This record gives sequence, C-alpha cells and structure tokens, in this order.
Amino acid sequence: MLAEIGLASLALALALALYAVAACLIGARGTGPGWLPSGRNAALLTFPALLLSAGALTLALLSEQYQLAYVYSVTDPQTPALYRFTALWGSQRGSLLFWSLLMSGFACAAIALNWRPQSRLMPYAIPAMMATLAFFLGLSLFVENPFERWWVLPDLPADRQVASTALIPPGAIAPSEANLRAGAEGLNPLLRHFGMVIHPPMLYLGFVGFTIPFAFAVAALAAGDLSSHWLQATRRWSLIAWIFLSLGLLLGGRWAYDVLGWGGYWGWDPVENAAFLPWLVGTAFIHSAMIQEKRGMLKLWNMALVIATFSAVMFGTFATRSGVIESVHSFARSQVGFPMLGFWALMTLVALALLSWRWRRGELRDERPFLNILSRESLFVLNNVIFIALFCAIFWGSFGLPITSELLLGKEVTIGPETFEFYVAPLFAAMYLLMGVAPLSAWGASSLRSLGRSILAPLAVTGLCVLLIMLSGAGLAVALLGYGTALFAGTVALFEIGRGARARNRSLGESMPRALLSLFRRNQRRYGGYIVHLGVTLIGIGVVGSTVFQTERQHSLARGESVQVREYRLRYDDFILARASDGRRLHIAAVTVLRHGGEVARLRPRIDEYPQMPMTIAGAHSTLENDFYVLLISGDSERATFRIYINPLVNLVWWGGVVLALGTAIAVYPKVTPEPRERKREAKPA
Amino acid sequence: MNQPLPAPGVYPEREGGAILRRVVMAAILAFAVIVVGGQAGGVTDNDVIRVAQRMYCPVCENIPLDECHTIACIEWKDEIRAQLAAGRGDQEILDDFVARFGDHVVGLPQDPLLRALAVVVPLLASALALAAGLIAFRRFPRGGERAPTPLAMAPASDAEYRRRLEEDLARRR
Repeated sequence: MLAEIGLASLALALALALYAVAACLIGARGTGPGWLPSGRNAALLTFPALLLSAGALTLALLSEQYQLAYVYSVTDPQTPALYRFTALWGSQRGSLLFWSLLMSGFACAAIALNWRPQSRLMPYAIPAMMATLAFFLGLSLFVENPFERWWVLPDLPADRQVASTALIPPGAIAPSEANLRAGAEGLNPLLRHFGMVIHPPMLYLGFVGFTIPFAFAVAALAAGDLSSHWLQATRRWSLIAWIFLSLGLLLGGRWAYDVLGWGGYWGWDPVENAAFLPWLVGTAFIHSAMIQEKRGMLKLWNMALVIATFSAVMFGTFATRSGVIESVHSFARSQVGFPMLGFWALMTLVALALLSWRWRRGELRDERPFLNILSRESLFVLNNVIFIALFCAIFWGSFGLPITSELLLGKEVTIGPETFEFYVAPLFAAMYLLMGVAPLSAWGASSLRSLGRSILAPLAVTGLCVLLIMLSGAGLAVALLGYGTALFAGTVALFEIGRGARARNRSLGESMPRALLSLFRRNQRRYGGYIVHLGVTLIGIGVVGSTVFQTERQHSLARGESVQVREYRLRYDDFILARASDGRRLHIAAVTVLRHGGEVARLRPRIDEYPQMPMTIAGAHSTLENDFYVLLISGDSERATFRIYINPLVNLVWWGGVVLALGTAIAVYPKVTPEPRERKREAKPA
Repeated sequence: MNQPLPAPGVYPEREGGAILRRVVMAAILAFAVIVVGGQAGGVTDNDVIRVAQRMYCPVCENIPLDECHTIACIEWKDEIRAQLAAGRGDQEILDDFVARFGDHVVGLPQDPLLRALAVVVPLLASALALAAGLIAFRRFPRGGERAPTPLAMAPASDAEYRRRLEEDLARRR
C-alpha cells in the first residue's frame, strides 16, 4: 500500500510541476487571467504531494518493508531506527526523491513569499523552478524509481523469475518475507555515522537553494525587468543556500575526519570538489550582488555568475551521480548520466541565450562606471577574479584533465592533493588578502593614502601576531604567510566592528555593549558579513596549522609498550574482540595517551568489520591546540600497529564553521526596524 | 662427426662449468636474500607510508594508497617495502608502478605532456583571469566619460524611485 501511495503521489507531483510550467508560460503571454494563479497553485501543491511520497518511503524504511527494492538495498533487520530514517538519502533512488522534496519546499516558500512583491517575475520564475523539479521527478519516476518492488514471475524462465518493477507485472507473486529479510543488504557502512545524518541534507539544501536565485535571474531576463528586483527577491535565498552549502561541506569534512580514517578532512577528491565548485562561484555571486544593489553595476556579471552557480550545481550533481568521476565509460553505462548531462546543458544554454539576447539589446549596461581600482567595488571584482580562478583550477584538476586525458589520449590520470595545493594555496592567500583590504576601501573611490591609513593598524596587529607565532617555533615561511593573510582578514573584521561601535559610543553616547548590539541591529548584513569573515579566518588558520604542521607516524607496539610522538606518548594497554548488536565484529585496542608524563586520555581506536568492508574508526583526544588522532591498523592481544596523527589547530576548522553559520544567520535574519524614539535620537547631530 | 659419449663418472668440462655457474648464482641469490632481508628490517612503516602517500589505490577510485585497506593495496604496500629494501629510491618506485599500471596510480602524472597540462593550465587560467580583470579595469570609462543609457538609469528599487521622485519634486517647488 505504501508503495502505491508513494508512486501515485510522485506521479501527481510530476504532473503538477509540468502543469505549473505550462500554465505560467501561458499566463505570461496574457492569454487569460486565471492561468497564472492556477500555475502557482499547482506549483504549491507539489510540496504536499512530495511530502506524501517521501513520507511513504520513510514509513516503508521504518516498518521494514523489504519488498521495496530500495528498502531491501539500504537496510536490513539489524539497522538501527536512526539509520533507517537516514537511509532515505542513503542511495541514489531515495536521495533523488529527497532532493525533489527539498527543491519543492524551497520553490513553494519562494513562490509564497514573492508572489505579490515580485509579480512581474513570477510568470517566468515559477516555470524555471518547476522545470528543474519536473526533471528530477522524471528521473525518479522513470529511471531511478524508489518504489519498485520485488516480484516472483513463475511463468518466466528461471533466470528471469525475480524482477523489481514499479507496477505489478501480470501473474506476479510477492516473494516470501523471510527470504527478503534474510537477503536484505543493509546500509553502506560508511553512511552509518551521525555526520551522514546531517551532511547530505545540508548539501542538498545548498544545492537546491541556488535554484531560486537562478530561477529569478532567468525570470528577470525573460521579463525584461533588469533592475535589481531579482537580486532583492533572492538575496536571502542566496545566503541561505550558501550557508547550507558551507555547512554541508564542513560536515562532510568532519565525517571524513571521523569515518574515513586517514587523519584529514579534505582530500581534494572529485566528489568533494564537485560540491566545492558551486560554493566558489556562489560566494563570488554573493559579493558581486552587493555591488549591483548598492551601485547598479555588474549587471551582466551577476547574471553570468548566478547562471554559473546553478550550472555548477547541476554539473556537480551530474558528476557525482553519473559515474563520470570513476571513468567516462562508467558514465556512458550510467542510467542517469545522459539525461543529467542533457538537462544541465539545456538549462545552461537557455539561460546563456537569454543573457546574450539582453546584452546585445544593451539592457544590461551598468548605471555607473568604475572610477578607481582601489574602490570597494573594484576590489570586489578582483575578489571575484580570484574565486573564478580557483573554480577553473579545481575544475581542471578534478574533471577537465582526467576526462580530456581519458577521451583523447586513452590514459587515466589522478590529480592528488599535493598538485591541488600547489596552485590553490597562492590563490587562497590572495583571497584572504582581499578579504582584508576590500572592507577598508570606500564605495566609489578610495585614495591610496586613505586606504593605507586604514590598513596600518590591522596590519600592525597582524604583524605582531605573526611575530609571536614565529617566536613560538612555527617559523616555516609558507605557514607564516598563510597565518598572516588569514589573520589580516580577521583583524580587519574585528577592527571594523570595533570602529562602528566606537563611533556610536562617541556620537550617541551608547555604552559599548549597547553600541555593538545596535550596530548589528542597524546593519545586519554588513556586520553579519564581518562575523562570516571571522569564521573564514578561523577556518583558514585551522587549515594552515593542520596541513603544514601535521605529524604522521606508524608504530607497531607490544602490549604494555609505548611510543613517544612529539609531546605525546601512546601506550598500548589491551586488545578486545567484540560483536555489536548489528552483527559487526569489533577489533578494539585500548590505549592510554600521556602528555609530559601525565595521563590525558584513554582511547579505543577500533576496526569495525562489516560484511561489505572493514572500517577504521579513530580514537581522538581533542584540544583547541591540537588533535591526537590514533588509528588501529592491525592487531591482536600481543601486538598492534597504530597510525598516529597530531593535527595542530584542526578544531578551529569546525569552530570556524560555527562562527560562519552565526554570521550568516545574523545577515539573513529579517531586519529589525529601530523604535521611532531610537530613530529620532540617531537623527540628532552629534 | 658425432661426439663420443663421456665415460660414466666423468663429466665434460662445459657441464662442470654450468654446475659452477648454478652454485655461484645460488650463492648470489642467497646473499641477496640475506642482504635484502637485513635491509627490509631497516624499512619502517613510515618509509612505506611516505611513498604510498604519493600513490592511489588501483581498485578504489581516488583513494590514496596509504589510506586504503583493500587486499590489492596491502600487496602494493608490501611491494613498496620490498623495493625500498632493495635500495630503490622513492621516485624509482613511483616510475616503476607508473610504467606497469599507468599514470592514474600517482597524484601527478609522470607523462611530461600530462604533467605540464596538470600544472600549467591552472596557473595559466589564473593568470588569464587576472589579466582579464586588469584589462577590464583599464577599459572601464573614467567618471563622467559615459552617460548611462536611459534604460540603465532605471531605479534599482521602488524606494529608490520614490526618493528620486521626491528629490525632483523638491527641486521644482
């Protein structure tokens, strides 16, 4: 019954999305007044339809309905309830449905909130959103259907007697429940981690979120409303998508750190890079959108960036789901490869064609010229150049070269972290430098002298910090450069917040805490942005510390024996063999970590032996200064081999993520209008 | 024409030489095994990791060799240990694996063309992006050189429009 409900509501959602596209486009032509509201209502109804469909699949997962091929492939009777729930996005079919549900949720919210304020854009924005949704629903329904069920077909030859289909074939009978339970495959062990509960939804929210600004940009191009209306309508959506994508990337890094057992969190793997690419262009867009809103400039560039962000999202989805990362040949064999490639190309080309048409008509000209290379808008453009250069470099290493080499030379190549780090490190340094300089320059024009004066104090503080770091022993030039540029960006953010609060304190007589509060209330976007910069600074410092100064050792120890690694000593105490409730065998080493002679932690690194694969789960002792991270490589009661990592400052990466989320929340939070009395007080001359 | 058969118990000189060669070979092999065995004891896990970090699993896509626990990777790491023990350098070992299995087993292609493409293209792209940005700045008209088109002068928002309207009205009063 659940399969029928899920399938019917999925088909209904597809029909509604297609109808919404058609009705809104007819309405846009002015054929009749009823078409547009009808299209809107159909679009709004896709969400409850998909909620029902995803709800049915979730219920099937929770109630162990193994006749559903999806439930059979991602759970088994031992799977805990939490992972049954998260199995909804544990494999391609479920995750496509989940993606569609989130896309529909975002679209419905955007339609409901912008229906009246952006009535001119809605006839085109709704079709753009619903066309994207319809594509994914089509994939779910016709290519990767999560509601297919196992059937036994006794009339067919023995090798074709068992099949999974969405509709009941004639003469089919349901397989025995006991056989299904016994054969159920269970969730991929890599996904049985709390990080996987949150990481994919965050990433998907980030991905689908960027569809909203894209849809409004396309609508602006189609409707000819090329003012900043579409930017105002989508500013919050862009920031929400951006923060979800940022958190998705960070949580993915945390999951890799905890689960993959290699002592790091970012391996420049193509799957990671596929999610990072939209983040780079999206970040560039968020910055350059401010220039259009404030100065009426970069209209063409903003359109191009938002199209590029959506295109990168679609490409990332295509790349991770089509198999093209493994090999161009597996892409060709993939069922979703060609449809996704086609949709990605179609949407990108349609948007670019509209953009080119409007540009040739002269409708995307800037309202003001750039006056000065030191103006804030010019520095923002330079910042955009850096982001685009990073995008191109990472795209080339992850996809461009491997695909070109395999197609043209017949050679498979892999680009490793050392190669990526070689060319992205200087670009990131330049990005941090601009993050520091740009907020100090003025809109319109800035003189070298005034900019120099503003930079002096933060630069002096940064220099002092770098000197202290150097004296503490971290004297490597690369590290000092990394720390210096990141610290400079953070120092400027702190200085700017302090300067604003001081100005209020002097002119309005507010106490400093009150001045700070008022500052954030008055200009949430600007000061929220500075908090985001502080978060990015912390992440940068964490990345430099944990990359440049990471220590890695492997040692084989007899029981009772110990080994010194930098300031830590690891002692091998005991070895335990156990079996978990879900059937996996656990090989656990009990170790004690000592620092300067004193015990600081007792850890239990272990190997989880699943039927599909073994997993190495680290034991970690975390402080803000560093992580002592130990992996059990092999062992028995007599002897064990450990791989030990000391990752300095790695926790700043995670704390930076928290600060980044806080800053974005401040920037996105609906504007608090000051009380009339306060407004009056502020209007008084100082 | 036919060579006379040797008398029983008497071996021809050439055959005796062959035996000697075999003995010498066996001695060399035994010596090599002892030497290699002795050196293998000197190769630490960390030495193997150092080389394995620069290689990729032959089975799993994009998983560095030192992090992978498949049987194929364990065998490769054993082979790295043996090659290190035999006195081979890191680069020699990498070259040997690339020659046998292809460029995808290392993090930077060894093929000169692919290596150049891997390194030069991103640098070139960055330089081009920067150059494009700078050229764009140079081409930007200075203040007042270009009057905005009427369409481009469309106000950015209703609030902005109202503000301009009020300003115009105030000027007329």
